[in-house]
Amino acid sequence: MVDTTFETPRVRTLVLEAGAWPGHRAGQHLDVRLTAEDGYQAQRSYSLASAPGDAPAITVERLDDGEVSPYLVDELRPGDRFEIRGPIGGHFVWDAADGGRIFLAAGGSGIVPLMAMVRHRARSASDTRMRLLYSSRSWDDVIYRDELGELAERGDGLDVVHTLTRSRPPGWAGHRRRVDRELLGEVAWPAEDDAHAFVCGPTAFVERVASGLVELGYAPEFVKTERFGPTGG
Amino acid sequence: MRAGETRLDGNAIGGLLLELFGREMTIAVTTCRACGARGEIARLEVYVRCPGTVVRCPVCGAVLMRFVEGGERIWVDFGGVRSLEIDRPPGRRER
Repeated sequence: MVDTTFETPRVRTLVLEAGAWPGHRAGQHLDVRLTAEDGYQAQRSYSLASAPGDAPAITVERLDDGEVSPYLVDELRPGDRFEIRGPIGGHFVWDAADGGRIFLAAGGSGIVPLMAMVRHRARSASDTRMRLLYSSRSWDDVIYRDELGELAERGDGLDVVHTLTRSRPPGWAGHRRRVDRELLGEVAWPAEDDAHAFVCGPTAFVERVASGLVELGYAPEFVKTERFGPTGG
Repeated sequence: MRAGETRLDGNAIGGLLLELFGREMTIAVTTCRACGARGEIARLEVYVRCPGTVVRCPVCGAVLMRFVEGGERIWVDFGGVRSLEIDRPPGRRER
């Protein structure tokens, strides 16, 4: 680990330097394996947050009863080493050359692989229309908040729509309920626009959003989903 | 891992298969020996109970693969897989 940033008090990004990193695609993940002195091993998967072409970076949310995430968020220092395996995944990936209209739906830390897509779009100066609907508990829980705001302000085809499900800052005029079919109908691209969707979040979020999009007319094969983890903790 | 979430999808063995095959394998397609269902590895059901991992067919529930990782060795059983189909590496690099 060569660099680190706290995104929120419980979420930290780790920038990695990997000897033989072959490069990754937006949406892929990697495995982290930690080995204790007594040989006990714990392994978890984390989505890559960085754009293809940039150093691999993962963003980890501390789960208080977790085995791996408290160490990665609170203990790990720049210069520390651990074992990684990846990049992994060939289904939940987006390449800027694919074009289309892209709808992204994130629940909580499900934003991470979608952020790789947002960054990939910005880095490759793609003119693909991309709209992100991002559900967080509160404004302080919004990961990558400033960067998303700056990218959206460019006005070059990226829209970012927040919904805050638990608490809102004073004067909040945005959405305030969890993502349901009605909110999807307001925010998602109309299904007839050759729209493709990527959905990532907790299992219940992913199932609700994916079925909502299909009800709105999205072809199931154009709705790609990933539950975060895949292994938590 | 949270209680009740021990069932994962095939992405959970993506790293292990990457180590074994030296390439991204989650979009490879398996055929179930028991029921003949075909599907991407990413769509299979994976049950992790360290150090062992069991992969089941999402259609009929048959055991397709078993892995045990320990120390310097990995033990692999592909007995429930009738066939494995992978695209050849593209002639040009994808990026």
